[in-house]
Amino acid sequence: MRTLNIVVALLFASCSSSHKPQLVVAFSQANNAEPYRASQNAFMAKLFARYPDVKLVIADAQQDNSKQVAQVETFIRQKPALLIVAPNERAALTAVMAQAVQAGIPVICLERDILQPNYTSYVHSDNLAIGRLAGQFIVDQLTRKYGKPKGKVVAMRGLLGVEGEINRDRGAREVLDKYPEIRIVADPVADWIQAKAKDRMTEVLRTQSQVDVVYGHNDPMAIGAYLAAKELGREKEMIFVGVDGLGGPAGGIKKVMDGILAATFVYPLCVDRSVEIADRILHQPGFKPDKEYVLESVMVTPDNAAQMYEKFTVP
Amino acid sequence: MIPLVRRLAGAQRGAAFAGIVVLAILISPVAADGSRVFLQMGNLTDILRQVSLIGIIALAMTYVILTAGIDLSVGSILALATALVAMALTRAWQSASYGWHILLAIAVAVAASALVGTLNGLVIATTRIQPFIVTLAAMIGVRGLAKWLTDNQNIDIGFGRDVAAEFAAVFREKAIVIGAYAAGAVLFWLMLARTVFGRHVRAIGDNERAAEYAGLPIRRTKIWVYTLSGLLSGLAGVLYAAENHQGNPNAGVAYELDAIAAVVIGGTRLSGGQGGISGTIVGTLFMGVLTNMLRLNNVDSNVEMMIKAVIIVLAVAVQKVG
Repeated sequence: MRTLNIVVALLFASCSSSHKPQLVVAFSQANNAEPYRASQNAFMAKLFARYPDVKLVIADAQQDNSKQVAQVETFIRQKPALLIVAPNERAALTAVMAQAVQAGIPVICLERDILQPNYTSYVHSDNLAIGRLAGQFIVDQLTRKYGKPKGKVVAMRGLLGVEGEINRDRGAREVLDKYPEIRIVADPVADWIQAKAKDRMTEVLRTQSQVDVVYGHNDPMAIGAYLAAKELGREKEMIFVGVDGLGGPAGGIKKVMDGILAATFVYPLCVDRSVEIADRILHQPGFKPDKEYVLESVMVTPDNAAQMYEKFTVP
Repeated sequence: MIPLVRRLAGAQRGAAFAGIVVLAILISPVAADGSRVFLQMGNLTDILRQVSLIGIIALAMTYVILTAGIDLSVGSILALATALVAMALTRAWQSASYGWHILLAIAVAVAASALVGTLNGLVIATTRIQPFIVTLAAMIGVRGLAKWLTDNQNIDIGFGRDVAAEFAAVFREKAIVIGAYAAGAVLFWLMLARTVFGRHVRAIGDNERAAEYAGLPIRRTKIWVYTLSGLLSGLAGVLYAAENHQGNPNAGVAYELDAIAAVVIGGTRLSGGQGGISGTIVGTLFMGVLTNMLRLNNVDSNVEMMIKAVIIVLAVAVQKVG
């Protein structure tokens, strides 16, 4: 159905372009199946809708490198006014994005890195910094609980080998490792998936009689861990910390408001800045964007959750 | 002669399962009170709960495979059901009483799932296109339908005090989930072993030509088998939604493989005709115990996959030898 929409949209775009010039922005998304990326799509559609002369076309690569390469190749043939790529993996997309640049198409690389700077601009956030923020939050919470930095932490890990997982893990460990009395007692892998995190946390709880903090590398896994603890009546014993901080009723910020997560760290969608840059590339001849834009995270706790919910929810 | 062979295979299957259980007990970590964590009632029921969804799907998958068919669409149907039940709970019939609302929501999800199964069965029985292809198409199309309906978003059930949260609280109870699996297992065992329909299922996979000459209702039986497969996948989807507090259009990816694995490890032949529900149950439990054993011991998740591969082949090999 999605594909059909895209095909129809492309047909429409190519038909109408003969009547009046329309600027096509082609967006190659790595994987619509992740809530974070679905939010990116929704937000981008909303922001580009402000420009009547811009037509946004989104293609979903379904977490498949070769599919995404093929989609970008097809986009290059269509000579869009702007190409936005959220690469599935670094190595696979590097060459084809160079082709786009060589074809004279402005390229925005969204959120994930590639091996060579084959883009006009790279808009991203910093997972390592987020990991450190989360680590420091955990230290502060444990210090408040015990009067000194000590306690037992469970890290719920995302898909191994992915940059986000590596750096969200490393950043937190850098901080936690400074305190010998804080121990990571288990770090099961749940591949970013809530249902898996619930099962893995159940096993952890069977073997660990005391847990103080669960650090989920994304919000769904932190929520999965919460569900496991709740089932065993142990959810009050520990706090749950996540990353992503999506808005909307299914996002992590709502879970902070509901008192399920103690905190989540917003991993910026990078969309608003990208659309801003896109607007200037499309409408201001001679505009030279920076090579790189780094967006900062925001910590969401019960104190500011309602406010952040407003800010990050795409209606 | 055949019953003897079947009994022998059953005994070897039992031996393989007993082997993995003994191993799990032996290497289980020890809890603070000196007991073995693996044997704690809570852990044993964890295993049952964790295998229940795949277990439920595998029951009908056994029928499908007994007819020499396959159903690749079960994971997508599960996703559709999670989305439908969550949408019905959070977006429709807000004036209905809790009980009726929950009942309606489940009915919608399960009925739609069964309908997808019926469509699978109709196409397979009337066009004779291979089940692999028909259900592969359904797997793709139904996944698309679930994503389209939800606009790629999870439908949150939440933790409030509304009807959706009430639904989740009831249907994620271990007793309900395990009970659903147990009831389904008994029903499907009885249906296969004691009814005319069950005999037809077996006969079709054993020798479809002969079954046709004998005047058995091949089409009708096939349509029913795929309908049941859709129905149970939908039921599993309802339980998934409750357990994870969400309708998720991306749920159940690769569940078809887990279900097929459980059936095949349980001794049912992919070529049809031979096998049964009791084997599938053992196959399902086998996978559950194996996963639990490796996770309780914090085995590295990459190594876990390699160990699983070896043990699965060993388990099937034990049944073949002798």
